Amino acid sequence: MAPYTGIPLSPAELQYLHTSLSQDPPIRPDGRSPTQFRPLVAETDILPSTNGSARICFPDGTEAMVGVKAEVEKTRGGGQNVKGEVDGKTGEDEEMGDDSNRSARSGRDWGEWVEIGIEIPGMRDDDALPIFLSAMLTEALLADTGLKDTLWINSRFHWRLYIDILLLSQPLSYPLPLLSLTTHLALLSTRLPSLISERDEDPLFNDDWEASTPLYPRSKADGSSAQKPPITLLVMSVGGMIYFDPSADELAVADAVVALSVTSTSTTDADALPLKLVALRTIDPPSRLTAGGVSNVLNTTSTTGTASTGTTSTGGVLAIRENDQGQSVWRPPRGGVKRAVVGRMIKAVVEKGGVGMEVMAGLAGVET
Amino acid sequence: MPLDTSTYALAHLRLDGRRWSELRRIHGQISTQAAADGSAYFEQGNTKILCTVTGPQEPKRGVEVEMNVAAFSGMDRKKRARGDKRVQEMQYTIASAFQSTIFTHLYPHSTITLNLHVLSQDGSLLACALNAATLALIDAGMPMSDYVSACTVASAPSSDQTLDEQDPLLDLNGLEEQELPFLTVGTSGEEGKVLVLLMETRVQVARLEAMVSVGLDGCRQIRGILDGVVREHGRKVLESRVS
Repeated sequence: MAPYTGIPLSPAELQYLHTSLSQDPPIRPDGRSPTQFRPLVAETDILPSTNGSARICFPDGTEAMVGVKAEVEKTRGGGQNVKGEVDGKTGEDEEMGDDSNRSARSGRDWGEWVEIGIEIPGMRDDDALPIFLSAMLTEALLADTGLKDTLWINSRFHWRLYIDILLLSQPLSYPLPLLSLTTHLALLSTRLPSLISERDEDPLFNDDWEASTPLYPRSKADGSSAQKPPITLLVMSVGGMIYFDPSADELAVADAVVALSVTSTSTTDADALPLKLVALRTIDPPSRLTAGGVSNVLNTTSTTGTASTGTTSTGGVLAIRENDQGQSVWRPPRGGVKRAVVGRMIKAVVEKGGVGMEVMAGLAGVET
Repeated sequence: MPLDTSTYALAHLRLDGRRWSELRRIHGQISTQAAADGSAYFEQGNTKILCTVTGPQEPKRGVEVEMNVAAFSGMDRKKRARGDKRVQEMQYTIASAFQSTIFTHLYPHSTITLNLHVLSQDGSLLACALNAATLALIDAGMPMSDYVSACTVASAPSSDQTLDEQDPLLDLNGLEEQELPFLTVGTSGEEGKVLVLLMETRVQVARLEAMVSVGLDGCRQIRGILDGVVREHGRKVLESRVS
């Protein structure tokens, strides 16, 4: 008996799914097209004490909530380790030391201005999954250097963004796309209070929340398309076919699973690609945890004549399994993914009218 | 000062315009999460709590409560440490309250897990958590002896220290909790059997009786609200089945 690995599918069911997904045209278990996403429920601005918030529910029951808070922080300048936290809403501040050096406008270490925290029920903060997910989301967010300009206040102060992600249900399937889409939506709805003070004096903000500016403005003054926060999509491949938004069943038979992070490029050039790839990471597919089926030839428990009477040597068993190559029974996938397949995945996401644009347009629709 | 004695004595109105016996805007929803065995969302003013129930599961540990206070729930962003003592104490209080209410003898050798997510806090945290947990357990179909409803009561300051000047205030928000001595009372049933009574501040013992009786009445009101939420949900389910 194979040990239970969390995937309650027998080798026969796995083989059935794998065959139906590797056909051309493919047949997905729920009848979707390869680039079709499942419907989701999304809402924004649900938490009054945050700068921006969002909640997304997937149809399989998993839901996530993200709250974004911003605090004014003193910029570390010239090697001095001065760091203070200031309440941005009221504009009060602590005493300034005489040794606060001016840091260059370039803002080194601006990567520390964004902090992402992930809470998954049942997991501690130092478990592998939360750390890996937060690293991937941070990497995608920091790839956009325009964000640094938005967070910069003056040479002595900057905004520090805290993005707290809560996975409200148990992680039934790999939670990365859910968390990424919810973060994208929360960042779209984030607003920062507008600055009243000038140049390098201590920052003072407008108390009127109606005057606040969005972190990611809808449209820029020069008419170019606005910058948008990144999204990370999960794409899987079976044979030569690629599938978006895989369900838990489909992931159980995937040959390869890839996480693609894309962000929008602010360009007015009509021919250029609207999105650019910022990260591509392979995820260990859960199909490798499944147990292979036992072919008829090796099935010593059957009483029909095809079973061999004597025990075959281990070398013989191995040879039979290898020659079979997963044709007659299910075998967990081996090896990597072809470069051409990865290339097609990337193209499907970043091209004009591709999956990436569709998802971003769908999420932008939630705001209005 | 939020509860400046002079302004309160003038019109007997609190900062948010409520009188002494008025509850905040209370809203509850059950069955909010399809993936959980039972789920509920409960708001008391700006205190918003989401509760999910999973179980019964194998190892026998009775009723387990895990409370997760989100870092964005307060005014300042504060990420709580894992073994926060206040949170642990609240978890224990909630667990023991439900241990006596749920018919655990029907589920021997099982653990029932309650996951509470605090999304926003503005006073009455323990009370709101107990109410949210009740709704989630009802959604999960757990057999219980009755609703567990809870609320907070404070003792307003008055210049005159005599008994007839005291004014217990019902259902406190965050500012009032910081300023005034208050207690949390949780009851079960229409007649108000007290399951939880928690007080961390100090008050004159002569005022205690009035506070507790006002609290019991507040719990009765909240019990009516919880019952209304459950009946409304049941009505919707029946209507969708019949048509």
